[in-house]
Amino acid sequence: MLKVEINRTLQGFNLDIAFSVNGEVLGILGPSGSGKTMTLLCIAGLLDPDSGFIQLNDRVLFDSTKKLNLPPKDRNVGFVFQNYALFPHLSAGKNIAYGIRNRSREEVNHRVKVLIENMGLEGLQNRYPQQLSAGQQQRVAVARALAPEPDILLLDEPFSALDSLTKEQLERQILDLRQFYKGHIILVTHDLAEAYRLSSRIAVYDAGKIAQCDLKQKLISSPVNQKVARITRFRNFMDGVITDIKDQQVWVTVPELGTNVKVAANGHKNLAINQSITIGVRSEHIQAVTAPGQNILQGTLSSVVENLASINCYFDLKTNKDTCYCIETAFPKGAAPTLIDGLNYYLYLPPEQIVIIAN
Amino acid sequence: MNDYLTPLWISLKTVLVTTAITFILGIAAARWMSRYTGKIKPIIDGIFILPLVLPPTVVGFGLLLFMGKHGWGGKFLALFNTSVVFSWPATVIAAAVMSFPLMYMTTKGAFEQVDTNIENAARTLGASEWRVLYSVTLPMAWPGVLAGTILSFARALGEFGATLMIAGNIPGRTTTIPVAIYFAIVDGNMKQADTLMIIVLCIALASLALLAYLKKPKPRDRGLIVNPVASDIIHAGRKIDSPP
Repeated sequence: MLKVEINRTLQGFNLDIAFSVNGEVLGILGPSGSGKTMTLLCIAGLLDPDSGFIQLNDRVLFDSTKKLNLPPKDRNVGFVFQNYALFPHLSAGKNIAYGIRNRSREEVNHRVKVLIENMGLEGLQNRYPQQLSAGQQQRVAVARALAPEPDILLLDEPFSALDSLTKEQLERQILDLRQFYKGHIILVTHDLAEAYRLSSRIAVYDAGKIAQCDLKQKLISSPVNQKVARITRFRNFMDGVITDIKDQQVWVTVPELGTNVKVAANGHKNLAINQSITIGVRSEHIQAVTAPGQNILQGTLSSVVENLASINCYFDLKTNKDTCYCIETAFPKGAAPTLIDGLNYYLYLPPEQIVIIAN
Repeated sequence: MNDYLTPLWISLKTVLVTTAITFILGIAAARWMSRYTGKIKPIIDGIFILPLVLPPTVVGFGLLLFMGKHGWGGKFLALFNTSVVFSWPATVIAAAVMSFPLMYMTTKGAFEQVDTNIENAARTLGASEWRVLYSVTLPMAWPGVLAGTILSFARALGEFGATLMIAGNIPGRTTTIPVAIYFAIVDGNMKQADTLMIIVLCIALASLALLAYLKKPKPRDRGLIVNPVASDIIHAGRKIDSPP
C-alpha cells in the first residue's frame, strides 16, 4: 500500500494531492503541466514536498510533521524516466545490474539473465544504449528499474517517444509484467486510451489537484465535472434544468435548444427538481434516425472528417438565441447514413448513454 | 649539463603534484557548484575564477601577503614552526592557484551537461552520492574533465609570474623551467634557454597527443546497430502472433 498526501508550491504552481495505491496499476492522467511528473519525483524522493506524508507498505518515506525524509537511495522505488535516462557509458546488461547490490556475482548474473528474458532483450546485453532502438531502450529502462525488486514501479510517460506499433507491443509487455512483478505500479500519461488499457484505477489531474480518482469504468461512465468529462473524451455538453424525476428517469429541459431530454439516472443520487445541471454525450453514442421523436434533435450537417474506423460529423443545431450549437457524432463506418453537407438529419441521444454532470 | 636540467626535474615534480591537487579540488568544487543554487553562487564562482583574469604578478603578490610572516596563512604555518614562502612548496601553491580556474571551469561545464535524470536514476537504484559521482557523473563528463586536467597541467607547467613572486629564483630549489628560461636569457646563457625551450615544446606536444589519444571515440559511440539480432526478430514475432 502506498499512501501519498503532498503539498508543494513551485513558481506559482501548487501541487496538492492525496491518493493511495494497493497492489494495482494506478494511472495518473492529465494535461502537461498538471503536476503528474512532480508527484512521481516526490514519491521517489527526487523532489521534496513542502509538507505532507508518504508511506510505502510499512515504511514512512516522508513525514513533514516529524521532519522525516528518506533519501532516494533508501526508498526502494523503481523509476522509469520519460527519456529512459539509461547510463550511456554502460552496456544494457551493466545498466540492468547497476541497482543490484550486496549479492554475489553469480546471483547478479542470474537476476540480470532472468530480467533480460522477461523483457525480451536476449542478445542485447552487450550493446550500449546508443546502439538500441527506442523500444529496446525502454525495455532496458524497465528491467533496470525492476532489478533491485522495488516495492513500487513509477512509469513516467513511458510510451510518449515511441511509434504506435512499438507502443502497442510495449503496452502488452507492461501488462505481462504483472506475471512476475507483484508490487504497485503508477503510470503517468496524457493518453486516456493508454491509461484505460493499462491501469485499473485512474486519477485525473487538473492544475495540481486530483479532479477525480476512480475505477476506470466508473471514471468514463460518470465524470464528476466538465473538466474530467472533457479529458475522458465527452464531446457534447448541454446546460439544462431538471424538471421531473421518476422511476430512474430524469427529465431535463435544455433552454438553449428549447427541448426536453430524457436521461437515465444511472444510480445518480442527490438530484432535485429545478436543479441546474450539465448533460454530456459521447460522439460515438449519438445515432442518426429517420423521424423526429423523444430525445431526437434536428441538425444541419456542416462538416465530415473520415477517421480510421469511424466517420466524424459536425452538425449545427438551431438555438433560440442567435448562437449556433454544434454537435459532434462518430458513426461507425458502414453504419453511417448518406452524408450530404447542408442537409438536415435527426440525431437520437440514447437516455442510458447520457451522463449527468453536477454544476 | 646536469645544472641545465635541474629546472626540468623541479618543474616536473611541481607540475605533477599541482595537477593532482587541482584535479581533486577542481572536481570537488565543480561538483559542489554545479548543484549549488544559493544566492551567493555568482560570488563564489567569481572567486574561483579570479586567478584566471588577474595578472599573475598580482595573484603572486596576494599570495605573498597571505603566506608571508604577517598574513593569516603565514601565521597559521608559524604555529607549526614552518613557512612556505621562497621554498619548493611555494611553486606548487602558485601553480595550483593559477591552474585551478581552468580545471574548475571546464569540469563544471562538463558536469552541467550531464542529464540530471541519469544521476537521479542512479539514486533511485540505491546509489550513494559518492557512487553517483564516480560511476555516473565522472564517466559521462570524462572528456571535459580530461580537457580540464590537460589545460591545468599546461598552465601549471607555464606558470611564471606568481611563482617568481612567491617562490623566487633559488637555483636547485625553486627555479622552474619558465623562471630558468627567463634568467638564462637575462644572463645570456642561450644554450640553456634553447635546451629548456625544446623540452617544454616536447612536453606540450606530448600532452596534446595524449589528449587526442584519450578522447578517441569508443565502440559504444558507434550508434544504432541496424542488423537486428535473432532475439529482435523472435521477440517481435512472438509479440505479434500470440495473444497476451
